[in-house]
Amino acid sequence: MPLQTQFMSKRLRLAGALIILGLVVQALSLMWNHPLSFIAFVSIGGLFLASGIVIYLLALVSSSAANSDDPALQSTIRILPH
Amino acid sequence: MPTSLILAILLIAIILAGLVAFRPGLTVARGGKVLAFLALFVFPVFAGLLGLENHVERSKQTSFCLTCHIMEPYGRSLYVDDPSFIPAAHFQNSRIPRDEACYTCHTDYTLYYGGIKAKFRGLHHIYAQYISKPHHPIKLYQPYNNRECLHCHLGSRSFEQGAVHTADAQTMADIKSNKLSCTSSGCHDNVHNVSQLDHVKYWKPVE
Repeated sequence: MPLQTQFMSKRLRLAGALIILGLVVQALSLMWNHPLSFIAFVSIGGLFLASGIVIYLLALVSSSAANSDDPALQSTIRILPH
Repeated sequence: MPTSLILAILLIAIILAGLVAFRPGLTVARGGKVLAFLALFVFPVFAGLLGLENHVERSKQTSFCLTCHIMEPYGRSLYVDDPSFIPAAHFQNSRIPRDEACYTCHTDYTLYYGGIKAKFRGLHHIYAQYISKPHHPIKLYQPYNNRECLHCHLGSRSFEQGAVHTADAQTMADIKSNKLSCTSSGCHDNVHNVSQLDHVKYWKPVE
């Protein structure tokens, strides 16, 4: 597996796991009508969810940046008909 | 939106995120990339916002406010069998929705119309309830605003044509501009009055 794909897979796994954790916390907090459930929803669930999303978006950005730096890809783009 | 529906959306979001997390190879193809974007961005954000909206709506419920021990006497004051107790009279006669009784008359409280300061106060209440100790007796941060009464009473006959309200033009103007409080001494001043709760009779709603 190319290094770039491995990196992306790892990041997707990490982002997915954090997002699942965040969503599970948020789902559990919705089953409990209590001020602490709101705090859990925002601070724990929200934190996991936001971290997962940020990791995914950063992976997307870094993967597209890596692709644009790839000389093989650049030469392919150059020979493509406009 | 009902909580069960939001839970269903959260479950779908979890399944989709799981699919991408456990089978990242799917994202090599173009369709997989779209799936990953939906699963790791669109659905979690959408489900999170729905959950947040649900929490905010639920925090308007009377039962939510009364989960804090210190609010218990204020909840009890809604059942006082004495029409001079303003909150009790409003609650028992359904002049305010019973399941959102606190929020209806305290709209500026913490989470709602309040600014950043009010949000931090809300956090401070949780700290005071669970970690430190709440002040005894609790007090409003600011004098009670007539706006809370006028969002229902403004324009009503009993308010606009009440003998005391219309005694002179200045009185009405002062009430409307919040210069003269509705809860001023001698007016509607018997509010929760929790210190008297051991000496009053209680109304029992018909089941």
